[in-house]
Amino acid sequence: MTIDRNIYKPFRAKLTDVIEESPLIKTFVLVPEEEFSFNTGQFIELSVDGIGEAPFTPSSSPVVTEKLEVTVMKTGYVTEFMHNLKPGVFMGIRGPYGRGYPVEKFFGKEVLILGGGCGLAPIRSLLYALENVKDKLEKVILCYGSKTPSDCIYKPLFTRLNKIEKFEAYRTVDKAEEGWNESVGVVTTLLNKVKINLKNSVAVVCGPPIMMKFGTIRLLEMGYKDDEIYLSMEKNMSCGLGKCGHCMMGEFFVCKHGPVFTYKELKETPDIWK
Amino acid sequence: MQYLSITKDEWDKTLERLLLSYTIFATLRNESGIEYELVNPSNITRISYNKPKPVTSLKTFFLPVRENVTSAISPGKRRIIMGIPNCDIAGLKLLDEIYLDKDFKDIYYRERRENSVLISSDCFGVQEHCHCLTYDIKPYSTSNSDLAVIHLGDLIILRIITSRGKEFLSQFSLVKPMKDQSLVSEIEKEHKATEALLLSSNKGLPGYSETGKLLRNAGDEIWRKYSAKCVSCGACATICPTCSCFLLIDKPGFEKVKQLDACQYPGFERVAGGEDALFEIHRRFRNRYMCKYVWKPEKFKPVACTGCGRCIEACLGRINKNELFLELALDRS
Repeated sequence: MTIDRNIYKPFRAKLTDVIEESPLIKTFVLVPEEEFSFNTGQFIELSVDGIGEAPFTPSSSPVVTEKLEVTVMKTGYVTEFMHNLKPGVFMGIRGPYGRGYPVEKFFGKEVLILGGGCGLAPIRSLLYALENVKDKLEKVILCYGSKTPSDCIYKPLFTRLNKIEKFEAYRTVDKAEEGWNESVGVVTTLLNKVKINLKNSVAVVCGPPIMMKFGTIRLLEMGYKDDEIYLSMEKNMSCGLGKCGHCMMGEFFVCKHGPVFTYKELKETPDIWK
Repeated sequence: MQYLSITKDEWDKTLERLLLSYTIFATLRNESGIEYELVNPSNITRISYNKPKPVTSLKTFFLPVRENVTSAISPGKRRIIMGIPNCDIAGLKLLDEIYLDKDFKDIYYRERRENSVLISSDCFGVQEHCHCLTYDIKPYSTSNSDLAVIHLGDLIILRIITSRGKEFLSQFSLVKPMKDQSLVSEIEKEHKATEALLLSSNKGLPGYSETGKLLRNAGDEIWRKYSAKCVSCGACATICPTCSCFLLIDKPGFEKVKQLDACQYPGFERVAGGEDALFEIHRRFRNRYMCKYVWKPEKFKPVACTGCGRCIEACLGRINKNELFLELALDRS
């Protein structure tokens, strides 16, 4: 970023497609008007003109630069407006910001990924990034949980992942519906199914705070060390610049020092799961 | 330190001439105390020198309460801000680190910083809640302001602090190196007297890093006790020379308006999903002090509390943070 760039000013991106992933979740396909690239796990500030902006981690591959995808759950004021947008309009982008997943540190290791709900969005981007370097990885296991089968997003992703060498993907739901023949229960129950070489593995957790909390506790019980667990934190990252203070979590500005942290970095910080 | 001097009459005339090319703000006495005010030819003689801090802090000269941060910068008339106490100068050091950060420079802040000549003022005397020295901040500036001004007898004495200050003074032929060196001892005597007052009025108050250690170990009980009278008005943060949190508000055309915010307001950390780590009032109250004494020092070199005492004066609930710190210090001893 050059010194004279106005850090508060977004650039425009054209909304070219809106994909309905679940009743509450949509993926927005955007073509930026400026050169744009990001590291997987970094986030952007995405704005609806005149309404507001909110932080999202792109769910698309970091290798693809001509367009990006952002998966958004309808949960607040700005996201409600987003869900009403139709292709053809322009949205605003600032970023990318923060520290993403340290993919190179995963080389030579097994990567266990725990995802919950809309937390699969950043994970999908990570999975694309890991697929690009699969020769350098031992194994990638995805365990994903959603409330019901209809809340499960990226349905074709699971079939595709299970066809890729070294990749395994498992799903569970809190409450089954007719026709569901996969696991039922919270996401940590899937951990009983997977075979992991704990001596050579890292874990990634992304999802709602309650799932992150219990996911991390379970991983520690399994024997993961605190610096082998990577957490993607969700706070009120408002400016993305380490200035506005809304995302402070202890000494950290989540927008600048995160959003990806190891559990070791955060374990002494109060209220991380709130 | 190099000292120059000029007679008070000539200095007042110099300021009047400077009004043609500069906008000047200086500390003037009004009904509510000392305040930064716009200088005009008729109030130059009423400028107040060497009195402790103005009611509001320096920060709003650089971080306006509300501004459009997507509009073009129009360089205005150059500014002189005069009479700044060292607590405000020390506060600016932290704002510089945050807003002139190498990765994300705020161009509006930078423009205002570059456009302003800062003339600090040595404090001769203290106000009830002044405690800068407890945090190792002297009641006079030796860095970060361009010049320091001292009014002694019929003289205005100027201490050169930066090369920019030196250059600024070089345009005035009547400002000459100070001949009478005994005046330096007189200034130093005033410094010592103010320091002695600060020490005696803040006896037992823990230092900056000591306060951080005490807060780190403080239980919920003391936060609940002291926040019982907090009404979340945010006055403490608004008036603080280092609190600079803000909101970004969207306007049509992808414009952004930046507005000063305060962690004492409900919903400050609330996320769209509803989680709010600072939902309870005592958590918000604790947050401000933890930020100042524990968390900011982990990431920034300049102190995040300069001991100006304005938050104590501004509090609607009459909450005195120093009483809280003294209680913690007493409990530990």
